[in-house]
Amino acid sequence: MNRLRQTKTKGILLSFCFVLVSQLFTTPDTHAIPAFARKYDVNCTVCHTRVPRLNRTGERFLENGYQLPGTEDGATIKKSLWGDLTLDNVSNYLGFRLRGNILRSVEYARRAQGSNIDGNPQDRTEFGFPEVFSLFAAGTVTNNVGFFVELESNLEEDATGIERAFLTFNNIGPHDWAHIRAGKIDPSAYSSYATLRQQFELVGDNSVDNGSFMLPTVNRIALSPSAFASKFYGLFDRGGTTILPTAPSLFHAVAEMGIDIHGRPFGEWFLYQVGILNGANEPFGDSNNPKDWYIMTRFDLAQSTYFSANLSGFSYFGSNNAKVSTTDDVSWSRYGVAANIRYYMVDFYAAYVVDRVTDLPNSLESTFDTTATGLTLEANVLATDRILLGIRFDHLDAGGLRNQRTSNSLLALMAKYYLRSNIALFLRDDINLRPAHHGRSPARNFRNAFFVGADVAF
Amino acid sequence: MPFLSAPMWHSNRTHRFRLFVLLMGLIVGFFACPSPSSATEPQADLSASISRGQQLYQRACILCHGKAGDGDGPDAFYLGAYSAPRPRAFTEGEYKFRSTPSGELPTDSDLLETITNGIPGFMPFFSSLAESDRWDIVAYIKQFSPIFQETDKRTPIVLPPGPLPPNRESINRGHELYTLLDCEKCHSPLAIAPNGLYEQGELRDRRELDILPPDLSKPASFKNGHRPQDIAQSIMTGLDGTPMASFRETLPRPEDIWHLVNYVLSFSRPQ
Repeated sequence: MNRLRQTKTKGILLSFCFVLVSQLFTTPDTHAIPAFARKYDVNCTVCHTRVPRLNRTGERFLENGYQLPGTEDGATIKKSLWGDLTLDNVSNYLGFRLRGNILRSVEYARRAQGSNIDGNPQDRTEFGFPEVFSLFAAGTVTNNVGFFVELESNLEEDATGIERAFLTFNNIGPHDWAHIRAGKIDPSAYSSYATLRQQFELVGDNSVDNGSFMLPTVNRIALSPSAFASKFYGLFDRGGTTILPTAPSLFHAVAEMGIDIHGRPFGEWFLYQVGILNGANEPFGDSNNPKDWYIMTRFDLAQSTYFSANLSGFSYFGSNNAKVSTTDDVSWSRYGVAANIRYYMVDFYAAYVVDRVTDLPNSLESTFDTTATGLTLEANVLATDRILLGIRFDHLDAGGLRNQRTSNSLLALMAKYYLRSNIALFLRDDINLRPAHHGRSPARNFRNAFFVGADVAF
Repeated sequence: MPFLSAPMWHSNRTHRFRLFVLLMGLIVGFFACPSPSSATEPQADLSASISRGQQLYQRACILCHGKAGDGDGPDAFYLGAYSAPRPRAFTEGEYKFRSTPSGELPTDSDLLETITNGIPGFMPFFSSLAESDRWDIVAYIKQFSPIFQETDKRTPIVLPPGPLPPNRESINRGHELYTLLDCEKCHSPLAIAPNGLYEQGELRDRRELDILPPDLSKPASFKNGHRPQDIAQSIMTGLDGTPMASFRETLPRPEDIWHLVNYVLSFSRPQ
């Protein structure tokens, strides 16, 4: 009886999988898609070049607090009245995204014969389940008042929590002059090369924490844009946890508590952004009384012949936002430029960023390099309606403890196949351009990483 | 030494923070000034209407339709990429969605309707803009093509009385017409997938981009609307610039249009 039931269940499961897979492969690419697309009855491509990257319309939609560019339509469009508030139907503000690797194969430089270096990692190939799941809700509650909440669960990092959560107050004064965000925000959202919505998903590091104000054992460095990275070896947050040199931070943090204001008071060609953050890499609270603040300007050029370009410059002023030892705070700041050029099927990005640490204790001046730079260049080409090819070059000229810091250069290649505009499979290969034949630096031991993964948004 | 110099650093930072707060206050205060005249007045003055329309166009439309209205905005390529549709090129004076005969310009109301309702899949609806704003955009986009100034001939076609009840007799007659007019060459006999012409790469729009005929079993995806009168209008006027021709002259009897509409809608109705 049990066997019969098991067979039946297996049959149902197999049928379900078959139907699901056959749907994925045969349904024409018409209407997908996540919440906003459902609300406005359009395809993903109205707001994305290809998911997850935003096109110009998507950028303006984001800037305008989840309202169509040029409108203030937060009130009643496709909504239900709820007292004085108006809310979208659930399917119009709730979406999810599942992304990550199904196969991962990482290769390291071979150890010298007979050597016995602690922590030197082994080559590894493993199968997995896409590890990052995001549930997000976003929309408007009335004219010019919006919200965004993203909950993320990362199986690999064993972390679940609120990734971002903020309110928006839009079109304060004349249309598009000032929009305010308050909460846990991603500061670089409006710049030419934003931290989030990368075609090359951030691949986290593999490291072992050795305790407060102790350097960790890093087995594999993270594969992330060097321009956005922390860049310093031997930097700690105020709680004593190591800030890894590859982790996105400051202006490029995935999220920080704060408030910012942005707008286009002089027309479509110019955007300003000014913000203030708790800084100090603290998820909540502020042990660090002085705040960090930043200013960003962006110039948008060209609006026709399938061509557009923009250039951003920013300065981020940190204040007592990190430590290099148990006692002394340092101020960690960042300055940089970024650009994006799109012409037909080519989408090109560049960012050059300089980080500086000031207020360094005199005792560390000879052992700690206070300047670090990062360069990231990326190009994506939509080769066919369904195939996106990508290449990214990263160069990190690291700072920090002179006996630890190791610069590195990486090249990433990717091919992404879109089954539908919201479902993609990808192949990716990351190559270390400066591998060492032996040695203990994780930035040089790493040789190659190959990934097969999926990215699904509904 | 670091401890001696710390208060000075802190003082500088506090000063910097105060300057920042002052700057923020000035910005917010400046923006809090009352908005200049909004575009809600009736469009009595055409040039003022065009001017307001231009402002709105540059915010809401330019990213797809381009600065000069050529349909080549920065987002235009990625909308369909290597297949249709691309955004409308207003400079060409050719429009898919019209109530006028094939080859003629649309009426102002036709343009307003497209702005208001959008195009399923490809253009969001802008019904949230005030109606006067939408009329201003209509006034502005007509400036892109001199044809609008050269001709006043924009007379909507008149549909025969209908729609007719979707009974078996009507649907059967619609089926005969569907076969007679060779609809299945593009829409396939089952209407749920494109037929041979698309697969052979013979269905292309004016820009030589592959164009996928709609799935007739999903009327919500019909770009020109899915009410019976919308479907009738699409069949009668055709969609200029695409392989969808006007069947106004080829229908045996005027009232046949409603039988054909009933047959098309039967694909999405439970039998």
